[in-house]
Amino acid sequence: MQMLDNSIKIVELTKTFKDGTVAVDHVNLELKSGEVTVIIGPSGSGKSTLLRMLNLIETPTSGSVLYGEFDIMGKGFDIQKHRQNIGMVFQSFNLFPHLTVLDNLNVGQTTVLRRTTEAATEISRDLLKQVGLIEKEKNYPAQLSGGQKQRIAIARALSMHPSVMLFDEPTSALDPEMIGEVLNVMRTLAKAGMTMVVVTHEMGFAKEFGDHIIVMDQGKVIEEGRPEIIFEKPTNARTKEFLKRVIEKI
Amino acid sequence: MTNMDFSFLLEGYYIQIFLRGLGMTLLLAVMSVMLGTMLGIIPALMRLSKNKVFQLIATAYVELIRGTPILVQVLLIYSFFRMPVTLVFGIDLSSFIPGMLALLINSSAYVSEVIRGGINAVDKGQTEAAESLGMSKKQTMVKIIMPQAVKNILPALGNEFVTMIKETSIFMYLGIAELMYSAIIVRTSTYAVKESYVIAAVLYFLLTFPTSKLMAYFERRMKRADAR
Repeated sequence: MQMLDNSIKIVELTKTFKDGTVAVDHVNLELKSGEVTVIIGPSGSGKSTLLRMLNLIETPTSGSVLYGEFDIMGKGFDIQKHRQNIGMVFQSFNLFPHLTVLDNLNVGQTTVLRRTTEAATEISRDLLKQVGLIEKEKNYPAQLSGGQKQRIAIARALSMHPSVMLFDEPTSALDPEMIGEVLNVMRTLAKAGMTMVVVTHEMGFAKEFGDHIIVMDQGKVIEEGRPEIIFEKPTNARTKEFLKRVIEKI
Repeated sequence: MTNMDFSFLLEGYYIQIFLRGLGMTLLLAVMSVMLGTMLGIIPALMRLSKNKVFQLIATAYVELIRGTPILVQVLLIYSFFRMPVTLVFGIDLSSFIPGMLALLINSSAYVSEVIRGGINAVDKGQTEAAESLGMSKKQTMVKIIMPQAVKNILPALGNEFVTMIKETSIFMYLGIAELMYSAIIVRTSTYAVKESYVIAAVLYFLLTFPTSKLMAYFERRMKRADAR
């Protein structure tokens, strides 16, 4: 196994897009194994870009990401193998529309982990039961509601038995009445001790389940700490302003 | 407008010539699209790759072929491939092979753009999701992208087929007995100039029109299947 330690160390991580915008600006962070890290901040503050660099879906311009002692951009590091260990859930679900729900969960297992279809199906059905959608296994993604799609997407990521889960605004594309069902699944994962990094606007989830809150603005981390500190006694003026705006909206 | 006289069609011989020409036209069109598709995958993947040299070669190939008339391509290739007259099933391979080669090269350039477009039209999130599961680029292409791209590509291939049916008429210059050449044979022996061309036009249309309609039907069906 390439990875023994699920702690993530981010060193001077920077992403400059082709048009010159600096999305993430020299960020340094330490994310502990078994913790739920929640990244919050205004739109365009670089939260998603930061998250997407943690499995190199987005290539950093400079800096490094270390899982345990391994630099995932280091020479000879097998990022493809490493990604099996990092589940990712997207804002727009990104389910495979040409595959049934069951095959969405099977495809990674059979192609990447070389599990037999029978073995994969057993694992997939188990996960479908956990997210409460076993009766949808033969359906196609287009036949599901947004909340159901996102629960399937979480199950798909879990089918690889990852030790870290990344969530990129998992509830932002959902109708309000569907947010709860997705948060419930995430809550169960958090309780089970999964290492999670979550970009979200759900302050309720952040407060209740976040172990470590990171506030970003204009590509920089402006404040970080325990949720009771960040939400009750923030010190940074921009954090205060952001929280005030978010809470007013609720 | 002068009167036209189609009475020569009462002789089965001329009908046979037209039908044989029709068959050859279909064969040429089917072969050029099928082989052109297989060949077209190469420049399509080259243009999609990150390798700049591959991109440049493939782009040059596609642009050169799309930027020159098919007649020039056919005659050029024909003049390079000089081979003795070889008859197989009554087809002279010395003109059929270079002609076919020209047509499939031409088709491959157009089809490669269709394939590239079809692949590009698949949402980028699909690649991200597949790669986040640990799939390699190849696995992502085969398992996730291609099955979705095919739905974009197939209808456009139908259009290419219709185009090719019409383009095969230039084989007349090589003496291959496709539909247009047949029309000229009939014209020469019956002196029914206008009539021969009219019949050729009608037969072309009878091939292309139902084909386009059929393709449109399949396209609608596939769209419906997507909205499942």
